[in-house]
Amino acid sequence: MQLKSLIRVFAMVASAGVLALSASGTAAQQYPKDIAKLYEAAKKEGKVVWYEAAPLEPMQALTKRFNARYPGIAVQLLRITGPQQYARFMQETEAKQHIADLLFLSDQPLMQDLIKRNHIAEWKVPTHDRIPEAFRAGSFAYSPYTTDIAIVYNTNKVTAEEVKILESSWKGVLDPRFKGRFAVVKRKCGACYAGVHMFTDPKLANEYGVKFLRDVAAQKPLVYSDNPIALDRIIAGERDFVFWLWEALAVTKWQQGAPVRWIRPTPTPEWGNSWNAVSKYAPHPNAARLLQIWLTSDEGAIALQDVYGSSTTLRGVPDTRKVTKEAWYKPIKQRYDMDWDRWGKNYELDMNLWQSIQDSAIR
Amino acid sequence: MRRVISGNVGDSAPELSTAAAAVKAPLRVAGETVLWLVLALFVFAIAVVPLLYTIDTAFLKETAFGLTQERSLEAVLNVYTTSRYLQMLGSALLLAVLVTTLALTMGVLMAFLIGRTDLPASGTLDVVVIMPMFLSPFTGLIAWMVLGSERTGLINVALIAVLAKLGITSEPWINVWTYSGVVWVMSLFYVPYAYLFTVNNLRAMDGSLEEAARINGATTLQAVMKITLPIMLPGIFAAGLLIFVLSAETYTIPGIVGSTAGFTTLPWQIYADSTVAPLHRAHAAAAGTMLLWVTVGGIVLQRRMTRVAERFVTIGGKGWRNKPIPLGRWRWPAFGLVALYILCAVGLPLSALAVFSFMKYSSTIFTIDLFTTKHYFDLWGLANTREALGNTLMLGLMSGAVCVLIGGLISYVELRRKTRLAAIVAFIGVLPVAVPGIVYGIGLLWTYLRTPIYGTIWILLLAYLAKFTPYAIVVSRTGILQINRELEECARTCGASALQALRKITMPILKPTLIAIFFFVMLQSIKELSASALLASERGPVLSVLTWSYMESGNFQFAAAVGLLQSLIMVGLLLLTRLVFRIKLERASGH
Repeated sequence: MQLKSLIRVFAMVASAGVLALSASGTAAQQYPKDIAKLYEAAKKEGKVVWYEAAPLEPMQALTKRFNARYPGIAVQLLRITGPQQYARFMQETEAKQHIADLLFLSDQPLMQDLIKRNHIAEWKVPTHDRIPEAFRAGSFAYSPYTTDIAIVYNTNKVTAEEVKILESSWKGVLDPRFKGRFAVVKRKCGACYAGVHMFTDPKLANEYGVKFLRDVAAQKPLVYSDNPIALDRIIAGERDFVFWLWEALAVTKWQQGAPVRWIRPTPTPEWGNSWNAVSKYAPHPNAARLLQIWLTSDEGAIALQDVYGSSTTLRGVPDTRKVTKEAWYKPIKQRYDMDWDRWGKNYELDMNLWQSIQDSAIR
Repeated sequence: MRRVISGNVGDSAPELSTAAAAVKAPLRVAGETVLWLVLALFVFAIAVVPLLYTIDTAFLKETAFGLTQERSLEAVLNVYTTSRYLQMLGSALLLAVLVTTLALTMGVLMAFLIGRTDLPASGTLDVVVIMPMFLSPFTGLIAWMVLGSERTGLINVALIAVLAKLGITSEPWINVWTYSGVVWVMSLFYVPYAYLFTVNNLRAMDGSLEEAARINGATTLQAVMKITLPIMLPGIFAAGLLIFVLSAETYTIPGIVGSTAGFTTLPWQIYADSTVAPLHRAHAAAAGTMLLWVTVGGIVLQRRMTRVAERFVTIGGKGWRNKPIPLGRWRWPAFGLVALYILCAVGLPLSALAVFSFMKYSSTIFTIDLFTTKHYFDLWGLANTREALGNTLMLGLMSGAVCVLIGGLISYVELRRKTRLAAIVAFIGVLPVAVPGIVYGIGLLWTYLRTPIYGTIWILLLAYLAKFTPYAIVVSRTGILQINRELEECARTCGASALQALRKITMPILKPTLIAIFFFVMLQSIKELSASALLASERGPVLSVLTWSYMESGNFQFAAAVGLLQSLIMVGLLLLTRLVFRIKLERASGH
């Protein structure tokens, strides 16, 4: 008997031999296409469990909007960041412990893998054709909002003249006047990699490449362990700007009145970082589908813009965000599209390299 | 004054009691066998199986998407033989040594000043000095981020402004985003452990020994160094081991600050391997076993020291009242020293947290617009916060109660029956303390994934029982050692069964120790984050995970409000313990 099997037997003894034989409910099933009927079925289920990777507060506000439209369905949120969520969902699926109804993964390759493993329900939302191809994975998963990278700065610390230098090009950060005045983030995550992915693009090797990342480190930035900490410290005034975060993270603080703005030099990485999909084994399949439909609807798109602050991927929806009416706000001029093959292949190597370069900035 | 039960531990029982015990033998054997089996099964379920799973995980093959069922030595070899992981282990151990040394020095010094000298207001200081225990480490870090950041820390901002008014230009005075900053913040929060573990030994110590030394010409300092300190050594070692283990497995403070200061400790790497893409959970498990071996060594050493402690404790086991050592002209400077610690560990962090929790965002420019009561309204308004509050309280109370029961019984069976198997159960029961919570959490998750308790709050209860039963075993063990077994033998001679003797004699005498364990475990359970973060589900949120989620989401101000609520609950429970049980934690937990 292998050790793993032996341990499993012990575990079963330890838990009084009770096995969870939960019904998977995975048999082929038809779901109402009519929203009213779907809502009725969802109400009977009474709840939906949403594993999500976004900040908790805006997601709670979002679920309130959903409940205002569809009362009687309790949305239970569990915030788990991408890789942990993937691992947890896989473990639960293998053990037939089906808990999650809807998944929200930030990492596109992880979602693709779940689709490949046949763990995601194929469910074409009514607005399918209004969502650009880059923001959908077949009829399995949809990214209802975009994510970008941006230089986020403290308005009390960076002058108008300096803003111009920074927005002229990503290389603006190398201006000697910025030495020791900004921060970078040493963490592995999708948004953390997006910049590295663009700067190490072989097509942009002459302009950026690894040398550019080394030059950034030579500017002696302060290194923070995570994005929210960096944002908090920039707002406090510990450093003047952070090279780079993303708009949605900063916009929440801007809405609260914090002295913070952001600029996005050209080209700007912009991609889907919010992959929502219904689990094939969802214990509340109707409620999960209803929530997915609402998230990708016009009403859901506006709610996402209002509470999360990121721009919607749904075509034909006006950008209702207050920040876009500000004189200083500039939309993305030219989008940089991710090369997902290169992303998958190089992610770890590139991030390890960037982290070691950041370490050199501290020494 | 605490009761000290005198007598020589290990004395053979009188013949009469042996005869009486023989009469009751069939009943006793059956009862004890059942008890022993229950304890062994408990230890097996919460300690052995998850630990085996953890070790097993270290031998699995990793892919870009997680673990496979294929076997591989890659993770173990990488962790045990490459300089990268060994250096991180070295960093964690060095940090733990520095934190332990500083916390012990401060804690023991304050225990001596408060417990043995004529320090002013020692009764009040006795309570206030343990207050940092009511802050979780990462809530403490938020407080020190607000206080001690280089350019925006309130201490630097205030000092620079005051000096500027005096015409003096000054550079920032402190910066917590450095290695010494980590040592400082962690030490502040571990001082109460050193204090609690030593202050009662000092109070219970026979002062006539020091007096005899002084009569024979020794100065006060010489008496302390030659008499007090050697007698204190086992207690100091136990406190040191606890602080060392806790600081060696802490990942939040060293990880968050270490990224800025330029160092990585093993627990932070374990956290990264367990949570960040691509996951390296086999590496995390292998690295967790490294810390396991280090702590196993410490536990073995501690058990040897405790054996020595028995001899020390029983030297003069009768009650006495020590005369406080006069500090003379050092009385007020010593008071200032203790007050300074209280200011740094309690006053400043709690004030900073309170102010911060009313702010919309971080700032050093204080205007009326900056402040809001929203976070506190949200605390009560959000369903998951209310639910988390209820779950946290319930789990804290339950884990405290069960750990007392199980830990006390394991120690009792080990010390009173002295069989090899009982000793093994007691030793194994202590092991989970050595494994970082997040790694242990993975083992527990694998163990109970296929059972109905997965995804409920009961898996959190199991995690807390596993993590904190070791403390209950260690503390109750030394408590039981102080009780002469002749008392139980007398009861047995008078016709009581073994369980009756335990219930009527041993338990009442142990009551202060047991309540202290209950309270300590409850506090630790309320603060526990690393295993909780992995095991908590949407059905059972707890406050520590919620605070961490808000902190990870960038809402530090709301996290501060939740952290403060958590602290208030702990202080409330402390007061309740005093009122209901009439037990003072700071006077009951030393051994």
